[in-house]
Amino acid sequence: MNLRFIDWIWHVRGSLKLAPGQSCDEAFDRLDPLFQQTGTSHERTNGTLVFRKKDQAAQDKMSVFDRGVLRIEKGAAGSVLRYHLTSRALLFCFLAPLLFLGIAQFTMAVVKPDKPSTEAAGQSGKASNASNKDAAKKADVPMNPIDKALGAPAPEKPGKDATDGPGKRGKKPSPTPAYVFAGLFAILYVVGRILEDRLIKALFRKRLLGSVSPASPLIA
Amino acid sequence: MDGIRVGKRVIGAQAPVTLGWENIPKVEGGPVKRFVFTWFQPTILFALIAFWYYAPNSIAKASTAIGIGIGFKVLLLGLEWVNPRFDSWRLTWKELVTDLFYVGLGYTLLRIVDSYIGSDVMVKSIQHYFHSDKFTWFMGLPLLVQAFLISFIFDFGQYWMHRGMHNWYPLWLPHSVHHYITQLNINKGAVGNPVELFLIGLGIGGFFDFLPRAFLLSGAFGMAIGTYQHINVRFNSPRWWRFLFNTTEHHSLHHSQDYEASRSNYAGSYIFIDRIFGTCIDGEAELLGMEGGRRMSIREQMTYPFTEAWKALRERFGRPVAAPLAVPAE
Repeated sequence: MNLRFIDWIWHVRGSLKLAPGQSCDEAFDRLDPLFQQTGTSHERTNGTLVFRKKDQAAQDKMSVFDRGVLRIEKGAAGSVLRYHLTSRALLFCFLAPLLFLGIAQFTMAVVKPDKPSTEAAGQSGKASNASNKDAAKKADVPMNPIDKALGAPAPEKPGKDATDGPGKRGKKPSPTPAYVFAGLFAILYVVGRILEDRLIKALFRKRLLGSVSPASPLIA
Repeated sequence: MDGIRVGKRVIGAQAPVTLGWENIPKVEGGPVKRFVFTWFQPTILFALIAFWYYAPNSIAKASTAIGIGIGFKVLLLGLEWVNPRFDSWRLTWKELVTDLFYVGLGYTLLRIVDSYIGSDVMVKSIQHYFHSDKFTWFMGLPLLVQAFLISFIFDFGQYWMHRGMHNWYPLWLPHSVHHYITQLNINKGAVGNPVELFLIGLGIGGFFDFLPRAFLLSGAFGMAIGTYQHINVRFNSPRWWRFLFNTTEHHSLHHSQDYEASRSNYAGSYIFIDRIFGTCIDGEAELLGMEGGRRMSIREQMTYPFTEAWKALRERFGRPVAAPLAVPAE
């Protein structure tokens, strides 16, 4: 299968027209501060810049990308910068919904719903009888006079509404959070794929065509 | 860098830190902004206490607490946007995705593990032995005292677990991953190796869940105090607040690149526990992390404790490798 049909998931491609008369070296000089970041290595040869990033800083403007190629092509209408960048973060975010869907399936497989057999029902009947006795015994939950005076609601008798008590005990893990996170990551992927594409284009444009001098540092 | 002597220790010799409240910057902006970011924390705390104290039994439930918790985090994300403590801690798309991945693990896989071999099992077995009748005296205490005691007992346990992690190599290995974060944001508390997240979650925090209202109130204490450990918001926390409670300032020092500074401020909510045991340092740091602020990838965060443990074991018990014979230079 030709990877090109699916590699847009984690590959970002684009092009930018250079300012009239801007030479190849001048353009790369302007972009150079982007490749002087921690964990970044790069090489420049004949109108091509190849970079790699490892453990890039969180505030690195290109932290989403792990490697890429920038090429300046000369045409009749002027020079054009073409870039091809690769992002493991985008791929990870694209796959994350699948991971969480898998976790949801795993949760359902591991946490099986209770199947009350007659024996178990008998036992649980006994248990509930016992707990009823307990509840009757503990019917009076003490309440401090200060709380009474301040108007706090009287405490409920124990054993009531056990399904949504504050404690998690007795409440089995549910697959719902996994589904929620699968949805969240799907949304985040769409946002990230569009946002990071635009941000990198804006960043290159600002460096190439903006008023920044080639040596001016990056402001986080 | 000379560092500053605090007690017997020299803080800030390896990386810059700011020590002393008088040296920490204040909220900048108009009077409304300054008012909001001065009184936000106490207002939320007292509002939550009032809510859980007076909420009818039909509302005072875990599902309400979960809803409030999520809403509160979204609100704090908004505050990070409006009034960041440091621009160098700004949340990026990649940071958000990374943080949420760990939050997701906490809500799913870790919850399953906990229900089989973690806190849930421990609490269940302890509750089995201690019948709640034995706690009638405790249930007769004023609600707020019950709630404070529950959260204090939990935080006291967390303090020693956390201090243990910084002092005993086998516990440090899983915790070290959390110290590779290079900025504080609202979900950074969830970032770490799953083994550590399991260990830090261990405890009998849920032991008192048979006291629903006090338990929910204690959860509100944790939410309205402990949440500010990892957050990129500048607050003018009142003097009494920062004396009693852990703040972003305290916790940023704990995450500092300076080794000595990182061995301080272990408590989750109640910084006075650190004051009692002499491990509290008042101040803040901007440069965070390990190895000079190297950001670890998720893959390395997952494997680091195991690979490092393997290296340590090999060094200790492995056969010594014969050193190559020196070849004399010609």
